[in-house]
Parts: sequence; structure tokens; C-alpha cells
Amino acid sequence: MEIVDSAVHDKARQRAQEEALAALVDQYATTLFRVAFSVLHNQSDAEDAVQEAFLRVLRHRETLGEIRDHRVWLIRIVWNIVLDRKRRAKTRPETDDIAELGRVLPAAGLTAEQRAAAAQHHAHVLACVEQLPAREREVMMLSAFEELSSVEIAEVLDVTESSVRSRLFRARNLLAELLGHPRSIR
Amino acid sequence: MSLSPQNDADRNASVIDAERTLRLIATLPAPEGIADRVKSRLQDAPRKAGVIAWPSSVSGARWTQFAAMRAAAAAAIVIAVAGGAWELYTHIQIAPEPSAVATPQRMDGGHGGLSAAGAVRKPQTLDGPVVAAPAKSDEDKSDELLPKGNGAKPAGKKVRTPGLTQR
Repeated sequence: MEIVDSAVHDKARQRAQEEALAALVDQYATTLFRVAFSVLHNQSDAEDAVQEAFLRVLRHRETLGEIRDHRVWLIRIVWNIVLDRKRRAKTRPETDDIAELGRVLPAAGLTAEQRAAAAQHHAHVLACVEQLPAREREVMMLSAFEELSSVEIAEVLDVTESSVRSRLFRARNLLAELLGHPRSIR
Repeated sequence: MSLSPQNDADRNASVIDAERTLRLIATLPAPEGIADRVKSRLQDAPRKAGVIAWPSSVSGARWTQFAAMRAAAAAAIVIAVAGGAWELYTHIQIAPEPSAVATPQRMDGGHGGLSAAGAVRKPQTLDGPVVAAPAKSDEDKSDELLPKGNGAKPAGKKVRTPGLTQR
């Protein structure tokens, strides 16, 4: 019967989509978490963002077959989510970042004092990065992910590759000034 | 502005150090079990938004039975709506359109508004306000014409005697 065949076909297709989605979660959940954490600096917020990203994928799972590069596509989704969350959230105090970094950064071979000093240093760097203009800051943060080439960063940000390079150049210059003279760029 | 080589090196070192921090954060391990938590949440999530969720896990043999039930339910809804509409149509009678519109006749001869009953308003502002003298009663008038029996005369009043001319 045709209706029965269609129902069976729909069910099989739905099962295949769910398996594909589960495979994406297994493969990219960690990467997406790191991207989210680099912006939000908070573990639970970053995990929430990852879950939201996959929920969006679930809602548009019919388009999964049309995606050329799932990794860049997923990073772009989670990137937009975390930027949106960051815009809506209040500015976190630097002390929160220090505490969070002190908790999550690897501490092998470090004393408690060294670990605290390292966390403070990293938080200071992040605070300087936060003062960069948005476009330069985004390129700089994404360029820290070694698995992302400049072409892929351009795809995530929906700009050209040359824009990525020029923004990265400007970001480095501005960051050098900020690290030398904090709070001088607004 | 040119920078000295030492300053340039310092700037580069600080940027490299900052990028090392960003790279360190970018390589942080994800918390344990994040993939499992995401999967369980995806399984709990509603599949697709819909007004009515029809049973999806229906076996092939019962599919035609469900299709017939859906058709019957749809037919019942259509009949109920059509019956209600017919009921309203038969109970509501629209008033017939009048063939001509009769305009009521005016009682005041067509001048319009309320009548002033011939009253003419004369404003007192041109000649100044006129204070009306108090009206004298008949008794006062007779008092002036006749002498008082007790000889008392009202102060400031002149007594006039009939037949005599006052000088």
C-alpha cells in the first residue's frame, strides 16, 4: 500500500536524521564548547549555548544533507548564539573571569600561588581583548583555534579572507597598545 | 611614529603572550559527558511544532483505520460549523430597505432652532448700567400727602399740603 510505504519511508528518514545528528554531537560538541567558552568564559553558559546550537540543528535537520562543511556550519551557529548571549548579558566583572579561569585552567606542576597568578594574568589579557573593537576581537578569538583556517574564519564571520587578515593585523596592533597602556582604546 | 627595536620586540612579545592565552583557552577540555547531555536534551525536545500531533507510530495495518477516523472527525467539524452558520442565517432577519425616506416636517416654519418669543436683548453696556429706583408703595405716597397727626415729620422729607404752593 502506498500510504504504508510512505509512512515507513518517513520513519526511516527520521531515524537516519536522528543518527546523523547524534554523530554530529559526538564529533563536534567539544569543539563547539570550546568556541562558546572562549567568548562566554563560563562553563555552564558555554554548555547551554552548545545545547541551543544542536536544538537549532534539530529544528532544521531536513537541511543537514545540503550542508557542505558541517564543522564550519556548526561553529557559525554556536558563534552567533554566544555573541547574542553576550550582548544580552551584563558585563561580567574581571574577578569572575579570574575565578573561573583558576578553576578550569590546567594546573599540573603549579603551586596554588602560581596558579592564582596565572589565572590573574590570563584574565587581564582577556580584559584587554574585550576592549578591542568587535570585528577585530572576533577575528582574534577565532584565530586562536588552530583547527580553523583563515578561509574557515571568513566563512564563520561571513566576510572575505582578506578582511580576516587585515582585521587580524589591526587586532594585533591594537592589542599591543592595550597591553602596554591598558584602557587607552575605547 | 617610529618605535625602537626594543619597543617593537616588547610589543610583539606581549601580543604573542596574549595569543598564547587565547590559544590556551581555545584548547581547554570540555566537561565530561557533554555529548550525552546534549543528546538527552535533544531526545526530550519537541520534534516539530504543530497544532495537533497525530499519532506517528501507527502500524501499517491500523493506518487506514486512523485515516478513516481523521476523515470522520474532519467531517463532523465541517457539519457542526455549517449547521451553526445555517442556524444563524435562518434566525436573523434583515430589515427591508424602505422605498422612500420621509423627512419630518418642521414645526417652526422652517427657521430652525428654538423661538426667542419676540424678546429683544438690549445690552446695558453702551449707556452704562441703569439702577432702577425702588418702587414706592401706596402707603408711602399717602403719608407724603397728609400731615402727620403727632406732628412728627420724617427727617429729610418735605410735606406738601394740598392747595398750597411750596416756595
